[in-house]
Amino acid sequence: MSAETSAQLRARLDAAVAARARLRGRPLRHTIAALAAAAERWRDDASLRADLPRAARLSPAMIAAVVPIAAEALDAATMSALAEREWGAGAAARPAPPGPALVAHVVASNVPALALPAIALGCLAGAAVLVKSGRDDPLSAPAFQRALAAVDPVLAATVVTAYWPGGEVAREDAALGRAAVVVATGGDATLAALAPRLGRRLIAHGPRWSVALVGRAGAGDVDAIALDTALHDQRGCLSPHAVYVTDDARAFAERLAAALDGLGARLPPGPASVDARAAARLVAAEAEWAPGAAVLGGAGGTVIYEDVPAFRPTAGRRTVRVHPLRHVRELPELLPPGRIECLGLAGIDPAPLVAALRARGVARVCPVGRMQRPPLSWPRGQHAPLGVLLGRRAEPLLEVEP
Amino acid sequence: MPRCVTLEEELAAAIEAAGRGAPPPDFAAWALRVFAHQFEHNAPYRAFCTRRGVTPATVARWEDVPAVPSAAFRQVDLACGPPEAVFSTSGTTSAAARGRHLVPHLALYRASALATFARFVLPDAARLPCLSLVPPPALRPDSSLVQMCVWVGEALARGIAWMVGERGLETERLLARLAAAETSGEALLLLGVTAAFAQLFQACRARGRAFRLGPASRVVDTGGQKGLTRPLSRPAFLRECWTLLGIPGYYCVNEYGMTELCSQRYDSALDDRFHGRSLAPRRLAGPPWLRTRVLDPDTLAPVAPGASGLLCHHDLANAGSVSVVLSEDLGRAVGDDGIEVLGRVAGAVPRGCGLLLADLEPS
Repeated sequence: MSAETSAQLRARLDAAVAARARLRGRPLRHTIAALAAAAERWRDDASLRADLPRAARLSPAMIAAVVPIAAEALDAATMSALAEREWGAGAAARPAPPGPALVAHVVASNVPALALPAIALGCLAGAAVLVKSGRDDPLSAPAFQRALAAVDPVLAATVVTAYWPGGEVAREDAALGRAAVVVATGGDATLAALAPRLGRRLIAHGPRWSVALVGRAGAGDVDAIALDTALHDQRGCLSPHAVYVTDDARAFAERLAAALDGLGARLPPGPASVDARAAARLVAAEAEWAPGAAVLGGAGGTVIYEDVPAFRPTAGRRTVRVHPLRHVRELPELLPPGRIECLGLAGIDPAPLVAALRARGVARVCPVGRMQRPPLSWPRGQHAPLGVLLGRRAEPLLEVEP
Repeated sequence: MPRCVTLEEELAAAIEAAGRGAPPPDFAAWALRVFAHQFEHNAPYRAFCTRRGVTPATVARWEDVPAVPSAAFRQVDLACGPPEAVFSTSGTTSAAARGRHLVPHLALYRASALATFARFVLPDAARLPCLSLVPPPALRPDSSLVQMCVWVGEALARGIAWMVGERGLETERLLARLAAAETSGEALLLLGVTAAFAQLFQACRARGRAFRLGPASRVVDTGGQKGLTRPLSRPAFLRECWTLLGIPGYYCVNEYGMTELCSQRYDSALDDRFHGRSLAPRRLAGPPWLRTRVLDPDTLAPVAPGASGLLCHHDLANAGSVSVVLSEDLGRAVGDDGIEVLGRVAGAVPRGCGLLLADLEPS
């Protein structure tokens, strides 16, 4: 793939757009069925499971845990419900509404398998799809396309997967210039480099984090937050970096540290760069000197108890801050605007918080333990997942999962 | 009645003597003495060590003295006595996020700074007029770098002219001074932050002006990429020094220092050249009373030679505060006595003397 020229890539894109034209009259239910079937095949792809740990720098146990989660998001019933929510009743029986011929996704590599929802949403929007994989997962996208080709070669022909190192401007322009919409996920520098070249065609998802809010926590809740933290080694925007506790926060912090240690044996962390390890070390080292703070935990992760409620992201590596909170209504003010993607809840009624959270830019509220299991309907960045691809303007969305 | 000589005074005298050619202080022995001193007189550090079960009685090797993260200087005052000076880290973050280094014995800082500067920047014992590309002490009285420049101007140069004013680098005045030196053939010592040199280079290019400064002119820069509006690699910096100032690379000495340390490291190129080691790799070398270990971030054990890790400095000249500081810099060992700084850890608070000029600019 790396030897592919810009002209060859453009030819593949032209072919995908032509294939998409041949599918324009097909009801969405066929697309939905094919995507669901492909997800199951992808989930069971032995070579992918063998190769992904090294590429994604996650342990084999972690890959075994997260691959089924990624596949289950492409559940047929969920996709039908999403189509109906956005395109109206009976949408699955109709073709996708008129929309972009080609949607491009520039996928980050902090979390593997981000290509799956990217491909699925593009197909449901009736577009041909280009997925430019991230450096740490160039495998999932082609594996999914292979799976799709096995169940629906006509639909698979509308999907182009590619990888090139970030910053290759000529290649990027050749590929992304063809797309009506470019959905890009990445760091601030990556997005800043793309923004002037793509203008309004760009839908940018910059760095975001997640938090949890806990009332009286049961043992299951503590384990659930530990799992939410540990999955993907805390590298995703849905990973909690802070937990606010209205009950005994210090005791909760100690229980969470123990739970993370327990998980460390079952889901060992993957290898990390010196830089990532150093950043995590410095976060803990600083906390050790901060007034009102305590550093808890061991090999499975680090819990930093801080008695002043605030939000500061950690450096990852399963490091989470725990703060006491006098009242749940104080939470939204603590969250940096536009930087918090998901709020996990335990023992808290979300209803009184929804308006303030939406205004703060939060896109998703769910029970703890489900933070890393977003449905395809997740309004990432508060955008309607399908409508945004068609350029439909809408109020910022916040989805509350029961 | 004779006064007792303090540990700091004794160490300062030993360092000054080393600067004059006497054998350097015995690092291992002094490290244990200094640790015992700090454990006794620095309460927050004593509490930190006690939590780890470490006391002077349990430490047999200098490598086992507990390291304090530089972030701790943002949280507590770590000093063994009333400070003679308080230095603050530079940065574009809020003042509350800046670190403070309380220095109870300025003479010790002065002794270390001057001896090291003389060795690495002035191995030929030249005494040159100094142009400072850092703010004067009136503008930044809390900068340890500025304090060092003052001492250099007093003790190791033929005077110092401050080329930074309230509104930043005074480019026209600097260019005029360089032109005068070029005409007279006078050699200069240019001392400043890398970002200020970048501004100077930009001004030269904008005017189509290049200087051929007198032989033995030299550049000392510090701060690296911090505060730069656009990246400037080390080779590009050296090329600009030659092209625009007429100063060859071996007369360009990069300094690495931290507000939290009283000793510095310097590019070894000039010292190596004057001692017949021109083929030695460029590295940041330091005085014998400063040792730097490269540590694995997870275990804080030394990494394999040449591997990268967190830089942990053990500076005897920090006897008045804390001697072992875990920095927020990544680096690797080079040769027997040097290091290479690879950059700041991602997410670390922006700081450093490279931001001295940025501090003067309106936000």
